[in-house]
Amino acid sequence: MKGTKLKVTKSVEKTIVNFLEKGLDKKCFDIVLIPLKVPAGDSFAWVLVQDKSLLADANPLPPVMTVQGAKALSSVARKGKMSKRIAVVMRPCEIRAVIELSKSNQIDLENILLISIDCPGALPLKNYIENPKESENKFNEILRSAQNDKGTQNDIQWGNESTRPICQVCDKFTGTDIGACQSDLHIGILGVKDGNISLIPNSKKGEDILNEMSFPVEKLSNNWENKVKELVKVRKEKREKLQEELKPQIVGLDNLLETFSTCINCQNCQNVCPVCYCRQCYFESEKMKLTSDDYLMRAESKGGLVFPPDALLFHIGRMTHMSLSCIGCGACEDACPMSIKVAQIFSFVGDKSQEVFNYTPGKSIEDALPLKVFEEDEFHTVET
Amino acid sequence: MEDNFEPKIIGFLCNWCTYAGADLAGTSRIQYPPSIVPIRVMCSSRVDPLFVLTAFLRGADAVLVAGCHPGDCHYQDGNYYTRRRFACLKKIFDSLGLESDRIRLSWISASEGPRFAKVITEYTETTKKLGPNSTKKEIFL
Repeated sequence: MKGTKLKVTKSVEKTIVNFLEKGLDKKCFDIVLIPLKVPAGDSFAWVLVQDKSLLADANPLPPVMTVQGAKALSSVARKGKMSKRIAVVMRPCEIRAVIELSKSNQIDLENILLISIDCPGALPLKNYIENPKESENKFNEILRSAQNDKGTQNDIQWGNESTRPICQVCDKFTGTDIGACQSDLHIGILGVKDGNISLIPNSKKGEDILNEMSFPVEKLSNNWENKVKELVKVRKEKREKLQEELKPQIVGLDNLLETFSTCINCQNCQNVCPVCYCRQCYFESEKMKLTSDDYLMRAESKGGLVFPPDALLFHIGRMTHMSLSCIGCGACEDACPMSIKVAQIFSFVGDKSQEVFNYTPGKSIEDALPLKVFEEDEFHTVET
Repeated sequence: MEDNFEPKIIGFLCNWCTYAGADLAGTSRIQYPPSIVPIRVMCSSRVDPLFVLTAFLRGADAVLVAGCHPGDCHYQDGNYYTRRRFACLKKIFDSLGLESDRIRLSWISASEGPRFAKVITEYTETTKKLGPNSTKKEIFL
């Protein structure tokens, strides 16, 4: 793996922010999209930063995922090419969503520099808002454990039980091919024991930026790669185990009904989903508003009908629309007021249907969306 | 399972092939069970998987999507997309443990009246064996 080593000063976050400041100074990019601590100090928001002094409040790795980064970027870059060069600092799952959105023409990637960072996981929003200060300390401990790593098994707290369930089983928490994440520049903070972090270019754009900033690109030690691969392996096993545990809770109509019985039809999960990009969702359209006779007829034939109906249609219907692009970021689960395991269920179904097409969402801009292409000779098992 | 159970199959039939095939089966006076409720669509690729899902969750005992044979699509390649979507839908059914035998994709051309009758007869038999769709009785759906 080739890249540049960067000496950590004060903290990993500060080092990354310094790198961005340098990039702004050298005019390698004109503006930065990054999470900033809100003035009240109890949350984080995406801010397009032009004024360098604002970067003092920036946190490239906030303890929570408030708005999914891809959602923020698509509102900036939806209507075509940016006239300024913009650097975007995100978690790998956010970058993967960006790649998916660019395939649906929702983000024009020209003039955008995608920077990903090894992700220690995020804390559940619900826990965070109860006590932001304490949560931040907890998150810091998790993040710092990468630096204190002495190589024994439980040194690394990344994805421990205080992070979101979906983060605990995330096997794509990193950049480059290992994390199936096509950012331009990846910042590796795992397994770097000598007080350095590594900047790994992952595209022509990434290489160019390092050149422009006159960073030497050299062969990196294998520490990062080995550590990351080790953790990926552990996570893959955990993911499989979680999905096996999930099965008896959701497989079959009765279980599904039970799981989603608490759904209050707020459709938050859909609204926060970064890959649900339709300007008008079918489920919010007039098509879903039926005449009273229709409901009466259904109630009559069953003996009764729950209101509002069609919760299961909404969830499974959404799966048919977006499961192939589901990048498992967990935004839906954070947004669910009823604590339904939406992200775990959707990524379980997503994993399975992505397998059918041998497709990994967000892995590469070159891989076409499976439903947009076809081969003449395929899938004969589904035709009868 | 009820003995005298007559299944109801919702059929999304493409205008150019399968619907014409169904017509031919009729004009040729070929006998087939009256279980199919045909819905004419301009192309099988007009069928959003959501339509199939809606029919299934609203208590259809089976849902059939049928169109031109691959290569014969009136719009060149609509049915290839249908096949991919259907593969995805079927996988979702399987992953969630819903009865994926209750959804089916078939290619029936305008000249295949006998094949239309055969597909419907066959599918009606399979569906009879599965029994009534349990979604019919679910109040909390």
